Amino acid sequence: MTLKNESKLASVEVIQQNFEELHYICSLQIATAVFLAYHLEKPILIEGPPGVGKTELAKTTATMLDVNCIRLQCYEGLDEAKAIYEWKYGKQLLYTQVLKETLNEILAGARGLQESVTKLHDFGDIFFSEEFLEPRPLLKALKEEAGCVLLIDEIDKSDHEFESLLLEMLSDFQLSIPEIGTVKARPDKKPLVFLTSNNTREISDALKRRCLHLYIPFPDADLERQIVHARVPEVAEKLRHQLVAFVQELRDMDLKKVPAISETIDWARTLILLNTEALDPDLVRQTLNVILKFQEDVETVEAELQGITNKAIRES
Amino acid sequence: MDSTLVDFVKALRTAEVEVSPAETLDAMHCIDIVGYKDRQFLKNSLALVLSKNVEEKETFTELFDRFFTVDKFQSALSEDEDSNDPASMSDDDGEFQGQRQQSGGGQGSGGGGAEASEAAEVSDEPELQPESKLGKMIVNDDRTELSIAIAEAGRATGVNEILVFTQKGLYARKIMDHMGLKELQQEIGDLQKTGGNPRIRLAARLKKGRDALRERVRDYVEKQFFLHADESGKQLREELLKKVKLSNVERRNFKDVQEVVFKMAKKLIAIHSKRRKTFRRGQLDVRRTLRQNMQYDGMMFDIRWKASKVDRPKVMCICDVSGSVSNYSRFLLMFLYSLAEILPKVRSFAFSSDLGEVTDLFEHSNLEDAMAKVMRDYGNGSTDYGQMLVDFKRHCLDDVNNKTTIIILGDARNNYGDPKADILREIYDRAKRVIWLNPESRSNWTVGDAEMAKYAPCCHQTDVCNSLAHLERVVSNLLRSTT
Repeated sequence: MTLKNESKLASVEVIQQNFEELHYICSLQIATAVFLAYHLEKPILIEGPPGVGKTELAKTTATMLDVNCIRLQCYEGLDEAKAIYEWKYGKQLLYTQVLKETLNEILAGARGLQESVTKLHDFGDIFFSEEFLEPRPLLKALKEEAGCVLLIDEIDKSDHEFESLLLEMLSDFQLSIPEIGTVKARPDKKPLVFLTSNNTREISDALKRRCLHLYIPFPDADLERQIVHARVPEVAEKLRHQLVAFVQELRDMDLKKVPAISETIDWARTLILLNTEALDPDLVRQTLNVILKFQEDVETVEAELQGITNKAIRES
Repeated sequence: MDSTLVDFVKALRTAEVEVSPAETLDAMHCIDIVGYKDRQFLKNSLALVLSKNVEEKETFTELFDRFFTVDKFQSALSEDEDSNDPASMSDDDGEFQGQRQQSGGGQGSGGGGAEASEAAEVSDEPELQPESKLGKMIVNDDRTELSIAIAEAGRATGVNEILVFTQKGLYARKIMDHMGLKELQQEIGDLQKTGGNPRIRLAARLKKGRDALRERVRDYVEKQFFLHADESGKQLREELLKKVKLSNVERRNFKDVQEVVFKMAKKLIAIHSKRRKTFRRGQLDVRRTLRQNMQYDGMMFDIRWKASKVDRPKVMCICDVSGSVSNYSRFLLMFLYSLAEILPKVRSFAFSSDLGEVTDLFEHSNLEDAMAKVMRDYGNGSTDYGQMLVDFKRHCLDDVNNKTTIIILGDARNNYGDPKADILREIYDRAKRVIWLNPESRSNWTVGDAEMAKYAPCCHQTDVCNSLAHLERVVSNLLRSTT
């Protein structure tokens, strides 16, 4: 593969730096995955809890390389018509109507059904040519001239059948359309594919085998502080330490849904809006709904709020 | 270096990280790009290619550290020995000098000449080289060469096929033999026999080297054992556990059994979670076709076929928890609850005489606690199947419909009470399936107070079930019959 900004993928460190410039702070592991995905020409399957930046990674990569990011959002019932291609039925209908006259002319003089059909055959399958093909994300990604980033989001939400549909695309970067033939990506412009999964179900081994498997866990306190700093630079250092310590503390608790990085960032923004300089229990109580999304979680945390806040303040 | 990678993959496989040949190839490509220079980089990269879920990643990290530290460890060891060796050598020298002084003192005036000759001998010493290959290596003291030789011998003797720890000695000896221990022994013997100071000294040195080497080979074998056999021993044990009668499983093995059950459940989930719909080929679904084609002006472009959604079985599980059967119930329940992903509706009941629902208990606490509580609440008292059926009829018969599968686990020993088989008949008529699992062998089903003869006609299926293998079969059938 050669993309126009290939130099940005020269080594793991370079990738990390470039990501940092785009405010995406990543671990070595993540940068290694992007590096290998590019050089081995393999898709990356990213797993991890919601809100750790799986989708963001794909988007940032696209921005970094300055190519299009084509996104396919998976859901139950997604099929090839939505993912690969569809015939433009309407256009086909319209054209047959418009061309009725012409058709009559062509068929004029033909004797019998046999002859008419032969004459029609001479035209080939104009109605099933690329003209009438509506490319969907997967096909679009293959046809992209300058290469692209293909993001197949939340693959675990799709059906098992859809996974099998992806196999051809992921291993050979090609798709077969019965009426037209096989569409291949340009060998030097293969799309960089990211698949994300929230692990609601196990992805089949066949799919996993074709991918690099990257697991993004919750970041440690240090990395999270960097991320908050990159995303919300307005937060003062002291507050940053405190809020990260607080969130880290919450992650150790037995909650229905522990806050992810995206929630930490939202919270940081909220605190900025409220002109906060340091955490205090009352403030936390008021803004708790930014980081916790279930009432029962809020209740659990409220009971121990004082302790956790003090601990977070002490630690930082 | 490829063979190293293959060995590593083999070690991964024994540690239950499933690596396909294709992934091995990927790993090789990956190494081509990454190279061996940066250890962390290599580790990160291989982790991406070879391990495909979180548990596997953990195993991978651990194994990578163990596998690729061999060299490092040995060099550390040799450093140790290096630091030791000069000391011991100087010790020797010290002793030697002491002797010399003594002899010098004893010989008195003639000492000068003797000393000169001995000095000559010392300077001669380096030229006296051992003849065997191994001996040369020891004397040259080239640690890397020795390590390589050990690894080579290990490969030649197939140490990575080691299975049980009692084989460690055997393999250690095999490796030593392969490295040329015999010749070395011979040489040491010869040197000692022929005598002469330098020769004896050389023999002593070789001996010492040999012992150090033996130690090192033992270490090597030990490590190989941990890499290759530790897990396969476990696999052996698990295979055994699957077949052993559940009532004979000892308490200390419960943990292993649990692990096996989870693995089996995972396998079943993988097999059965696939299809949620079956398509009835050839039957046109007129309503859906019309609806689908409205956008094309009613032209029938896109034809839809009838499909029926597959319902997961609704399972009700009634378990006898009196002493003799409780172990079976324990594992059956464990099995059913590990299948939560594909069996979302399991209700379980326990009884010895009175029936009670224990669904919540199993959902909210771990197996040990739940089982203990169940035993406390329902475990005592003599078994009364009749009472159980009466209770079941009263509480839950209304919930039984043609989608419910009822599993009864018990030995049907009713203490000569009224079996009330007619109630079971009633359940039989309502439910989709009634399955009776009996831990006793078929020949005992009608002996003594056992009532299987009366219950069996009111069941769709009766099975002997007394090992994990049986349990797996039953549960698998349960899932299959509904998909």
